[in-house]
Amino acid sequence: MLEYPEILATLSAELKSSTQGRVPITEDTDLLSELNLDSLQVMNLLLHVEDHFDISIPVSILAGVKTVRDLAQQIEKLGHKG
Amino acid sequence: MAQAEKAMPFRGSKLNRTPEINAGALATRTVNSLPLRRADFACLADALDYAALGDTGANFYSGRGKLAAVLPYRALREKALVLARRLLSLSLERGARVAIVAETNPDFLRFFFACQYAGLVPVALPAAVNLGGHDAYVVRLRGLLLGCGASAAMASTQFHRFLREAAEGVDLAFVGTPAAFDELPERDVSLKRSGPAETAYLQYTSGSTSFPRGVVIKQEAVMSNLFGVVNHSLDVQPDDRCVSWLPFYHDMGLVGCMLAPMATQRSIDYIDTRDFAMRPRRWLELMTSTRASISFSPPFGYDLCARRIRSEDVGRYDLSAWRIAGIGAEPIRAELPDRFAKLLAPAGFNPRAFVPCYGMAESSLAISFSPVRQGVIVDWIDADYLAEHLRAIPAGPKTGRVNGFVRCGAPLPGHEVAIRDDQGNALPDLHVGRIKVRGPSVMSGYFAQPEQTRQALSPDGWLDTGDIGYRVDGSVVVTGRHKDMIIINGRNIWPQDIEHIAERQPGLRPMDASAFFVLGQDDEEVAVVVVQCNISDAAECHQLTQTLHREIQGELGITCLIELVPRHTLPRTSSGKLSRAAAREDYLRRREQERLGAQASTDRISYFEQRDRTAALGR
Repeated sequence: MLEYPEILATLSAELKSSTQGRVPITEDTDLLSELNLDSLQVMNLLLHVEDHFDISIPVSILAGVKTVRDLAQQIEKLGHKG
Repeated sequence: MAQAEKAMPFRGSKLNRTPEINAGALATRTVNSLPLRRADFACLADALDYAALGDTGANFYSGRGKLAAVLPYRALREKALVLARRLLSLSLERGARVAIVAETNPDFLRFFFACQYAGLVPVALPAAVNLGGHDAYVVRLRGLLLGCGASAAMASTQFHRFLREAAEGVDLAFVGTPAAFDELPERDVSLKRSGPAETAYLQYTSGSTSFPRGVVIKQEAVMSNLFGVVNHSLDVQPDDRCVSWLPFYHDMGLVGCMLAPMATQRSIDYIDTRDFAMRPRRWLELMTSTRASISFSPPFGYDLCARRIRSEDVGRYDLSAWRIAGIGAEPIRAELPDRFAKLLAPAGFNPRAFVPCYGMAESSLAISFSPVRQGVIVDWIDADYLAEHLRAIPAGPKTGRVNGFVRCGAPLPGHEVAIRDDQGNALPDLHVGRIKVRGPSVMSGYFAQPEQTRQALSPDGWLDTGDIGYRVDGSVVVTGRHKDMIIINGRNIWPQDIEHIAERQPGLRPMDASAFFVLGQDDEEVAVVVVQCNISDAAECHQLTQTLHREIQGELGITCLIELVPRHTLPRTSSGKLSRAAAREDYLRRREQERLGAQASTDRISYFEQRDRTAALGR
């Protein structure tokens, strides 16, 4: 079972390191317009999350994700299903 | 082989459940009990009939490297025949298009070949959705469904919700998941397979997402291409085995890495494209564990892999069986093959395994191939002379700027390649001009787009590739490509798609945006869009920039540098059109001035270190 706070903390830490702390990361941070992640950076982020939680993230869940919160919630749902 | 199949008795539904994952199943073997036939078949269904007599097939691996599904050609044929009858229960007319959201799984192959046996035309749709890209993906799918006049459409459970949304109001006989198709009744008819003169499949080009073009490929065209590739170019052997991570909606993925192995009865091991993008080293691990001998990738894949390999990993790989490392589908930077080969030499990678090739969906797949066991030959060319005189002369010790171009080998047998100037005159060797190709692999045209077809195909059968290059020693050398196209992480991005996103914003109009690429720090292409507007308020500028970042990422999956400039800044041509080349020059000049003006924020500026290669592309 994945807990939301832990997911959020993992995402935030990963994003902080990949953006070198240039942008403050909150639940409302927009992954696209604020962090400007390209598709390979998104892949890297997912890679770390998959490895950290030992889950597999289907690419289709990304379609509705805009903020850090959206992503954390989608990952939380995966945990519930698994 | 081309006779109609006898109607088969009804099969229990248990047999038709896919994907079929047998716990503990082994991958299909490499050496076949069946004598090798090298794609000498009249149509794809004939090729599968033969492959089904042996023990080889396709194997699918999960992101973690576990064997997830095994699909021997024998089982593929059986399942495809059953599904063909189910599809025919929809009373589709012969040649009707069946759209398949093309994930890397057994269902794609099953649906593709069911169409072959039923006389229907499969169309692979991209299974790639970007972060926040829900709406954009639905719009794109819808455009593709309409563009090919699809009669039925399939997507896995994962992608079905997008497909369903995209299909709303589109006149389709059936939209569903594989399981829903498997509920259809089997029509008790004798199947009439898609024959040599019929359309084998429709292939969407990697062109503009706003204006998609479906390439119509006949059975005889793709069979001719496959025959040329596996005999003349690859000289496929009975102990060859393949690995691929390329998507099936890409011509190299579909024709090169699905149809070619099937038509030569070879086993192939697949990794999902996303899994490769995430864990590129999986490619080499799989090559090692399967002792594969053939694998293809655009330069992007070799580059990504080379960047991710840690030196301590190299010893874990054994790439000594890799005899054909195909490289093509986008311009090949001269230094890349060498860098990859040096890095992996301790793992037994042979630099002569590289086989540079040139092709495009409009020519089924391949146009020219370098000889096997030759490796990469680079022409080092005087870049200034090339830009000025459109002639390739070797660089000497006094040459200022040098460009390295990779030779892509001779045209496939039975195909002609000509280099023509703008007036259509044939040019001699080493003269740079438009690359034209003629031969049996060339498409019939773009589906339902007579105007586009007329522009690309001359009445006497010459295909205008849109690329620029020269011939030397019988080899084709590509120096430039479709004017204006941007390539990022192996994907073709069309500037008009970026401009379109900008111009639809409130307060902006058509011709307010111009998109192009500049070269980044590592010589990779970086997309730039210059937008002219009347906004001076900083907050509003910030807002517009953020919106553009979000929408460009959502629709195209790339980051893009955005520069806002006052109205009337973008340069126009004499006929009043925007000139992307001139906009690019202006942009680079502004960056240069910034750099001279303030030597600050150095890393950002060095991003734009000008290494202008447009001139050398002969534009």
